[in-house]
Amino acid sequence: MKTNLFKVYKTGLASLTVIVGLSFLNTGFAEEKADTKGDFARGAKTWVENCVRCHNVRDPKELRDDQWITTSFHMRIRAGLTGQQTRDVIKFLQSSN
Amino acid sequence: MKTKLTSLACFIGLAISSNTMAQTEIEKLRSEVDALNKKAQEWEAYQSVKQKMEQDVSLLNDKAKEWEEWKAPKTLVHLAGFADVGYTDRQDQTGSFSFGGFSPIFHYQFADQFMLEAELEFEITEAGKSEASIGYLTIDWFVNDYVALVAGKFLSPLGQFRQNIHPSWINKLASAPTGFGHDQAAPNADVGFMARGGYLMQSNNSFNYALYIANGPTLEADGSEIDMIETPGLGKDGDGSKTVGGRFGMFFPDSKFEFGLSFATGKVSVRSGTSPNYSYDASRSYDVAGADFNWRPAGIDLRGEFIQQEYGAESSSVAPDSGQWQAWYLQAAYRFSGTNWEAVARIGEYDTPTNSKDVEQITLGANYLFATNLVGKLSYEFNDNPNAGLTAADRVLVQLAYGF
Ligand code: HEC
Repeated sequence: MKTNLFKVYKTGLASLTVIVGLSFLNTGFAEEKADTKGDFARGAKTWVENCVRCHNVRDPKELRDDQWITTSFHMRIRAGLTGQQTRDVIKFLQSSN
Repeated sequence: MKTKLTSLACFIGLAISSNTMAQTEIEKLRSEVDALNKKAQEWEAYQSVKQKMEQDVSLLNDKAKEWEEWKAPKTLVHLAGFADVGYTDRQDQTGSFSFGGFSPIFHYQFADQFMLEAELEFEITEAGKSEASIGYLTIDWFVNDYVALVAGKFLSPLGQFRQNIHPSWINKLASAPTGFGHDQAAPNADVGFMARGGYLMQSNNSFNYALYIANGPTLEADGSEIDMIETPGLGKDGDGSKTVGGRFGMFFPDSKFEFGLSFATGKVSVRSGTSPNYSYDASRSYDVAGADFNWRPAGIDLRGEFIQQEYGAESSSVAPDSGQWQAWYLQAAYRFSGTNWEAVARIGEYDTPTNSKDVEQITLGANYLFATNLVGKLSYEFNDNPNAGLTAADRVLVQLAYGF
């Protein structure tokens, strides 16, 4: 019984993987040009909501503008943020340090 | 005679008047010269001020350019990381001061396309030797807004503790939950290739994913029993079959709630011998399943996770039986409002194929946050082995952790 549940769980997640993979093949690589600039208000919201998921929120004043770029890209990978969310957060952090 | 006198008088008169005229002319000229002199002086003064100002402006321009270059070069370099120091006292041992580790993290970023991220781990051993290892080293390619390809040695994306909570300034207790340490139930790291990213929905909820293919783990046997599973991120795939896995997460910002489901599947084999002459016996199945969440209702930071690694039976192996490692924990933390004090409680369990390593654990902690990234911790672990006749030692840990 235990093994069966395990198999069902595994198969479910494996199917999800394939679906996600296929959907990215289909649409993901279309270049997005429309809105590439960061937005302060959106960035503030993303920061408040997302930057506390794993650790205590870090003070925008802690780092310089250039350091917030590298840190935000690092956090993009960790947190699964989108490129746009990352640009928004960078805009917010660079305007608040 | 009269005419002579008159003409003399005229002459004198003329001479006098022309003399007075010349005098006024000279006066006029003099004052003009004076004025010109003044103007010339002013001009000189102005010129020197102008020159000085021009120098200043060009100096400022250079400075501004430097600053612009600093802000927006193609390559950015940033050194981050964390370290901790402390004291650990185990019930059945003498207490020791400890240096938990120094983990510098390097970020090298090329435009908004590539990033190299690397974490080194320095530790000192019981014998006083310093040991260095690579926690992770990947080159990340930001393909588009939703996909990043990550290659190299990475922290296992399965679950949340190993990847996201283990740095000491993040972990609210001075120790890892039982089963989530090195080479326990939760996979630590792997060497391979990963696709990860996220998607923001109309509802403002977001979806995040990490999918990987990698070398996978290896087993160690003690006699005819499996003693340990090693997941440090192996440089060689001994079982000849890659491990595939990943985590899917959903985040609901309005409820401050995130959950994730993880899985991995592949093959594993028992390794014997010593480096560089390892040998591997027959491959058998390897599966991982996990679930995790974090939630922040009313200022309470709640998180928990379950993880299981299992290997199948293989009759030709030195250790033929199947087995599994399971671990879970639930943690609650609360920062008293208006103060820097935080209280933490965690309960967890670790179940292994070898009874002697099983642990039931409750950990309590009090933290002082000097800053959000500089935390003083006092943690007490109550450890118990649930199997008859076996025990596990309690520990008290003091730690100062700094994330930079
Ligand atoms: C999914 C978990 C997670 C989320 C969400 C997250 N972080 Fe982090 N953050 C980490 C981890 C883990 C580290 C430690 C770095 C490491 O070990 O690689 C870290 C480190 C940092 C650091 C220290 C510098 C560094 O790069 O190591 C800063 C600053 C930081 N995070 C800011 C942020 C900001 C700003 C956000 C919101 C955009 C954020 N974090 C969201 C997990 C997260």
